[in-house]
Amino acid sequence: MIFLRFLKFAALGLVLVLGGCGSDKSSSDKQLAAAAGQVLAQIKAKAGAPKGKAPVVQVTAKQIDNTKIPALQVNPETRGGSDFLKRIAQRNDATPGTVAVWRTSDNAQLIIRGGVLVGSRGIGGDIISSEATPTVRAIAGARAGQGERRYFMSDGGSSDVEVVLSCDIQNLGRSDTRIVHQSYQTIHLRENCVGGAGNRIGITNEYWVQPGSGIVRRSRQWAGPYSGYFELILLKN
Amino acid sequence: MSQAKGSIVQQIIWQSMEKRLGYAFAAVLACATSVSAQSAGVEQIFNVPDRPSLNFYGSPGLIDMPTADALPDGQFAIGVSNFGGSTRTTLTFQATPRISASFRYVGIKDLNIAGFSTYRDRSFDVRFLLNKESRLLPAVTVGLQDFAGTGIYAGEYIVATKTFEGRARLPGTIKVTAGLGWGRLASSGAIGTPFGGNRPAFVGGSTGGKPSYDQWFRGNAAPFAGVEWQINDKWGVKAEYSSDAYLQEAGASGIFTRKSRFNFGAEYQYSERVRVGAYYLYGSEFGVNVQLQLNPKRALTPLRSTPANPVTQRPSRAANPAAWTTEWVANEASSGILSDSIKPKLEAEGLTLEALQVTANKAELRYRNGRHHATSVAIGRVARVMAASLPASVETFRIVTVENNLALSAVTIRRSDLESLEFDPQAAGALLAVTGIGEAAPNLTNATFNADLYPDFAWSIGPYVSQSYFDPDEPLRLDGGIKVAGTYSPAPGWKIGGAMTYRVFGNIGDSQRLSNSRIEPVRTNTILYARNDAVLENLYISKQWKPGANTYARATAGYLERMFGGISAEVLWKPVGSRLALGVEGNYVKQRAFSGLGFQDYSVATGHASAYYEFADGYHGQLDVGRYLAGDAGATLTLTREFKNGWRVGGFFTLTDVSSADFGEGSFDKGIHLTIPTSWFLGTAGKQTVSTTIRPTQRDGGARLNVPGRLYEQVRSGHRGALEQNWSGVWE
Repeated sequence: MIFLRFLKFAALGLVLVLGGCGSDKSSSDKQLAAAAGQVLAQIKAKAGAPKGKAPVVQVTAKQIDNTKIPALQVNPETRGGSDFLKRIAQRNDATPGTVAVWRTSDNAQLIIRGGVLVGSRGIGGDIISSEATPTVRAIAGARAGQGERRYFMSDGGSSDVEVVLSCDIQNLGRSDTRIVHQSYQTIHLRENCVGGAGNRIGITNEYWVQPGSGIVRRSRQWAGPYSGYFELILLKN
Repeated sequence: MSQAKGSIVQQIIWQSMEKRLGYAFAAVLACATSVSAQSAGVEQIFNVPDRPSLNFYGSPGLIDMPTADALPDGQFAIGVSNFGGSTRTTLTFQATPRISASFRYVGIKDLNIAGFSTYRDRSFDVRFLLNKESRLLPAVTVGLQDFAGTGIYAGEYIVATKTFEGRARLPGTIKVTAGLGWGRLASSGAIGTPFGGNRPAFVGGSTGGKPSYDQWFRGNAAPFAGVEWQINDKWGVKAEYSSDAYLQEAGASGIFTRKSRFNFGAEYQYSERVRVGAYYLYGSEFGVNVQLQLNPKRALTPLRSTPANPVTQRPSRAANPAAWTTEWVANEASSGILSDSIKPKLEAEGLTLEALQVTANKAELRYRNGRHHATSVAIGRVARVMAASLPASVETFRIVTVENNLALSAVTIRRSDLESLEFDPQAAGALLAVTGIGEAAPNLTNATFNADLYPDFAWSIGPYVSQSYFDPDEPLRLDGGIKVAGTYSPAPGWKIGGAMTYRVFGNIGDSQRLSNSRIEPVRTNTILYARNDAVLENLYISKQWKPGANTYARATAGYLERMFGGISAEVLWKPVGSRLALGVEGNYVKQRAFSGLGFQDYSVATGHASAYYEFADGYHGQLDVGRYLAGDAGATLTLTREFKNGWRVGGFFTLTDVSSADFGEGSFDKGIHLTIPTSWFLGTAGKQTVSTTIRPTQRDGGARLNVPGRLYEQVRSGHRGALEQNWSGVWE
């Protein structure tokens, strides 16, 4: 009897360890097993991970010289660490500013219009789309400006929430940018935006813009409520 | 660039004690990603209002008394409290901004009623916010407590709460509450009978379950009051004057001695979702209260799926006229070549190509969605695959979502809109404005069909758990083991499906509370059915098809569910853009034997005519009228709130010609449904859900057959309402 009971538990244990399997990817049992597996993996990752955030990667001059394609370094402030993004598409459409799609090492995307972060994909809680024309114009001219920014933010599921902010872009004057071994003449612009009920929402973006070309060499921009702020460094254009 | 050191993706870090609670369902719900308080965090962006604290009844309140606060819209609250031998577990749902409903399970140790050593009971509450708090006026709420149970907690109240913030020299927030209670809430310190009438005393052991509206607000009324001071983000203290005499517990049964009308307590907000409190009640007892709150609107882990590549742009006709040639149409092989190129690209997105029909400037693609909860996400992926694969001259895309041979809808998108609107500031709204959502023909002709679809065999093996609630001897019983399921699909619409379970552990069958039904025991023999280890849950053959425009049909035969086998047929009418759907279902079934593959003698013709309606803002109604399993005739009304991410919370009740005496405990069938998409806590794309139905008592009246594969939910997922609700998903 005891042996039989042991066998039963062993069998159950085996099924749980195997995590359930099947030919059909949409099997709910498999999904639940995957959930348990994910929780385990996260606990393990937590146990093995060093305390604190991953450090920001310092790029060397040689690395930049060896890079022949456009490259963008992203340092997420909340999560820590760095990633290096490839530009996978660039185009002009009916909205002012050239739009570029940058892909991260794990296939997420940042959508940047005229140097302004206007969208993201695959991060979770993404910016589905946003209107930033006054900001794009101010940056193109490396000057102060003001206007409305309108975000359609993913609510964390498959639907969106509209957020309207009123923004003021100040010109803080010349402040050159040094990226590893290269120095660029840049103007420092600071954008303060407020909105929501009782102006409870407030964000501040910073841009270091090359006058003339309107290229944003370095910036610190808000990437949505789940992601917080990203530092963006244009290593190679 | 090879020096990538990590992703920019925010990951969950499991760090607090709260997160170590493990796999328990409640714990999974309680887990929170750590979101720091920042000025543009999740709370600000999604405008999450402050959550009020709960009382011992799991309602917004002080300690034992209610306040007038309402929970944020859609909020779920679970409260577990204990003092003086009473343990109350309450689930509260803020169904609309003003209406909330609670379901409670209570165990009172040594209560001397009906011969139980621990008296256990279920109760329902409803609350209605009459006035939202304004600068001058307090919030005012009217509440009915235990309005349909056997009534040990029966009481009504009207209560007002006013918040004072940053006044005087005190930090934090002070809430002052005063109210008037009836029934149980007027058992101490009554001041008269404002609405007159007599109120009978509580009698244990009656059938209960019916709204006792003839007693509401009748008899004595008594005032109650209290103060809550939320000192800072973490700590709060409460004091109240209670109007509850605890006649049964402290009086008749002497479980504790009630020495005072005053209660005091301190509460600590442990995390965003968890709050705990310790209290000194009625001058003699210590109590604890654990409060858990979460909102379905906010996923535990935001959904993250690998993005599609940006829309492939066609070269301009002027710059590259050769790319725009339509000579390929003349080549008969073109359609096959295009479909071969599309197939693997769809598969990479978790989608399956069914058929492709192309002309020089138009293409219709039929596909199955095996991955995305929101059909709109799948449609967006299909559109981008088409843009990346089809010749430049093809301008119109018709995308037809097919669910097991049912063509749900045809979504028509112009390719040039797809190209130009991808990064539009209002990408989703702008595309929806130029997209057509219409009826899809049952079948496609002149198309290239995916030859690999049939026959199709799929199987799965995994653990299962089944629950039995509210047995007075053992409130939660569980069975668990291994489940093997398989489906075989020989041709479009045909399916042979089956599932077997093997129980490894469990105690549902150990219960000695066998059926005492006065009518045909169609559902109360669960315990006898649960006394087998190896069980064939179901084994059936089904066919579903579209007989014509806007209509859908299904026929099923076999072992339909654990307790019944037979034949079933259903027809549903639902136009793509209609909020209304109508259906009829007829079944002839025989009761299955408790074990093995045989049948018992009882057989019944059962069936319903159903009307379904999608109200605005995710509220859904369903009315089923017909004959139930025990041969009783009547109707079921179901109201459900569906959140955009797929959470569903609903309540239902059934009235039939079975008298409440014949029905037994509860008087008539009622309960709540809960469905949670697994993607809500995992954050990965998937169509899977976890569902449960909780009934205060399972009896035999008003019982419906559980046929696998009912049509309405299958069909609705691809219709206009569902597509629009998640339309931003097309760009994800």
